[in-house]
Amino acid sequence: MVVAGLTLLLGALPAAASPQPVVVASKIDTEGALLGNMILDVLAAHGIAVRNRLQLGPTNIVRAATLAGQIDIYPEYTGNGGLFFRMEKDPVWKSRVRGYAEIAKLDREKNHLIWLAPAPADNTWVIAVRQDLARRDHLATMSDFARWVNGGGRIKLAASAEFVESPSALPAFEASYGFRLSDRQLLTLAGGNTSATLRAAAEGMSGVDAAMAYGTDGAIAALGLVALDDDKGAQIVYAPAPVVRAAVLQQYPQIAGLLDPVFAGLTLATLQRLNAAIAVDGEDAGSVAADYLKSRHPPP
Amino acid sequence: MTLPADPATRRPALGLPAGVGNPVLLVLVIVAAAAAAASGFVALAPNRLVSGRPIGLLSAAGAAPTIAVAALGALLLAAALLPPRKPLHAAAAGLAALLLLSTLAAAGHAASTIAAAGPAARVSLGAAFWAIAACAALAIVDQMQRLRAGPALRLLTVLAIAGGFAALALAGTFDQLAIAREYATRHQLFAEALGRHVALVAGSLGPALAVGFPLGIAAVRVPRLQGPLFAVLNTLQTVPSIALFGLLIVPLSALAAALPGLAALGVGGIGPAPAIVALVLYALLPIVRNTAAGLAGIDRAVIEAARGMGLTQRQIFYRVELPLASPVLLAGLRIVIVQTIGLAVVAALIGAGGLGTFVFEGLGQYALDLVLLGALPAIFLALGADFLLQTVAALLPFRARR
Repeated sequence: MVVAGLTLLLGALPAAASPQPVVVASKIDTEGALLGNMILDVLAAHGIAVRNRLQLGPTNIVRAATLAGQIDIYPEYTGNGGLFFRMEKDPVWKSRVRGYAEIAKLDREKNHLIWLAPAPADNTWVIAVRQDLARRDHLATMSDFARWVNGGGRIKLAASAEFVESPSALPAFEASYGFRLSDRQLLTLAGGNTSATLRAAAEGMSGVDAAMAYGTDGAIAALGLVALDDDKGAQIVYAPAPVVRAAVLQQYPQIAGLLDPVFAGLTLATLQRLNAAIAVDGEDAGSVAADYLKSRHPPP
Repeated sequence: MTLPADPATRRPALGLPAGVGNPVLLVLVIVAAAAAAASGFVALAPNRLVSGRPIGLLSAAGAAPTIAVAALGALLLAAALLPPRKPLHAAAAGLAALLLLSTLAAAGHAASTIAAAGPAARVSLGAAFWAIAACAALAIVDQMQRLRAGPALRLLTVLAIAGGFAALALAGTFDQLAIAREYATRHQLFAEALGRHVALVAGSLGPALAVGFPLGIAAVRVPRLQGPLFAVLNTLQTVPSIALFGLLIVPLSALAAALPGLAALGVGGIGPAPAIVALVLYALLPIVRNTAAGLAGIDRAVIEAARGMGLTQRQIFYRVELPLASPVLLAGLRIVIVQTIGLAVVAALIGAGGLGTFVFEGLGQYALDLVLLGALPAIFLALGADFLLQTVAALLPFRARR
C-alpha cells in the first residue's frame, strides 16, 4: 500500500516539464576526457542542454550504463564491437570500413544505439621502440621489426599480460609477420597500462627497449619512442566515434551534422598531439578540447 | 585521552647509554638525517611522464633552508639525548612542528628555484622530503604522548600546524611543486571532488548506521541469526567494489525508470546512487560486528545486578549496556569512517566523482603527482576524521566513569 502510494506520488512528479538534458559521458582515460569534452562543447555551443558525465568509468561500466539508458552519447571505439558482441575472433574488426558498418548495424538493431561517423585515427595496439634503436636498425614498420627479431636482433618488449595473451594483440602480430618473442624478450606487467610500458621503454628499465602502446598515445613521441606501422593490418581497427541513443538523435537530429566534421578532423597525428597536451604537459582536457574546436571553427 | 605511561620515559631502553632521554626521538632524528644525506629531497623531470632526477636538499633548496632544517634536526637530537622532563617534551614537540613546516617550505622554495627548467618540467617531492616529514610528524605524536597531552592540547597542535601550512600555501610557497601544478589546472574540479567525497561518506554513514546498529543488536539478542547474518556480510565484503558497481547499474536504472520522481532526485544506475549503496553494504560488516562484539562483551553479572536493582529491559540497554559497549562501538565507528573514506575513492569508477577521479586519471597517465592530488587529501580526511572521533571519545562523559 505504502509502496503503491509512493509509486504514484513519485510517478506524478513532473518529469517531462522541460526537455531532459542530453547526458554526455566518456570513459575515464585521457582520450575519453578529450573526446567527451569535444562532444559536450559542440552540443552546448549549439543550444542543446547537456549534462556532464565525463570520465564516468572504465569501458564495461560506461557500456552497461549506456545500455541501461543512463547515458545518451559517448565516444566509443569501433573495434570494441568484438568485445561487446562476443565476436573477438571475427576478422571483420580488422577492416576500418566493414568493422564500422558491423558495429553500427549490430548496435542499431539490438540496442537502438546509433554510431556517428568515426574519426580517421586508429587507437589500436602498436609496438613502439626507442627512437635511437629505430634509427640505428632501420625499424619503421612491423615487417622491419619481424626481420630484426628473426635475424637475432636484441629486443625486450614491455607489455601487459592482456597484450601478450589476447589472441588479437601480440599473437596476431606474431602470426601476421611471422616472428615469435620468447619469454626472455618480454617483460610482462600484470596490470600494466601503456603509460607504464612506455615509461619502461623510455627509461630502459630492465633492459626494455620496446613497449606496447596505443596508436593515439600522446606520450610516444614525448618519451623518445616511435610507433611501428602495422603495414599488414594485423590489428583490429579502433576508430573513435560518437555513439548516441536513437531516441535522443531523433529528438536532436542536428547532432550528427555537428559532430561529423569535428571527428573527421581527428587524424592520428592530431589526436597524438592533443593527448600529449593533456598527458605530457598536464593541461586540462576541457581546455585542450576547447582550443581544438576553436582552431577548427573560428568563432564568427 | 589517557594513555598508559610510556616505559621509555622512565628508563632508557636496552643498548643505549644511561641518561639518553628518548630513544624514539633519537631513532627518528637519525633516520631523517640518513634519508636527507642519501636520497633526493626533490626530483626534477623534463615532463610529467618520465621519472625525475633526484636532487639533494642543499643543491635543491640552497643554503638558508638547509641550515634551518639541519639546525632544527640538531636541536631535536639534543632534546633526544637530554634527560626527559615535561618542558623538554613540549619544546621538542614545538621543534618537530617547526621542522615539519620548514621542510615543507624548503620543498616549495626548491621547486620555485629549479622550476625555470621549462614549462613542461615538473619538480616532485623526493624520498628525503617524505622521510623528514614523516619523522617530524612521528616525533610530534611521540612527544604528545610523553606530555600526556589532553584532547584540547592535541587539537591545538593540529590546528597550529594546519594554520602554518595554510599560511605557507596562501603565500604561494608551494605553487611550483608538481602536485600544486596539477591542482592549479583543476582547482575548481578539486573543490567539487573534495565536497563530493565528503558527501559520499556522510551519505553512506547514515544509512549504514541506521541498518547496521539494529542488526548488531539483533545478532546478540537472537544468536541463531548470527551465522547467516555474518555469512552474508562477509560475502558482501569480499565482492570487489568495481564488480558491485557493475551489478548495481541494472536494478538501479530499472528503479529510476519505473519511478521518474526518484530519477529526478538523482537516483540512477550511475552516479552517487550505486556508490552509496555499495559503500553502505561494505560498511555493514564492521558496524554490525562491533555492535555485536561490544554488547556481547559485557559482563553478564553487571546486567544481572541491574536487573536485580529493578531496571527494565529498556533501561538496562540505555543505561548499562550502551555505555559499557560504547568504547567498542566508537572503535567500530572509527574503522567504518576510515574505511569508507578510502573506499569512496573507488566510487570514481561509476561516475560518482570524489577524489578517486584524480587517482584513476593519474594512474591512467602514470602521472604520480596527480595520483597524489587525489590520494593525499583522502588520507588527510581519514586521519582528520579519526582524530576528531578520538577527541570526541575522550570528551564523552561516560567514558571517564568507565
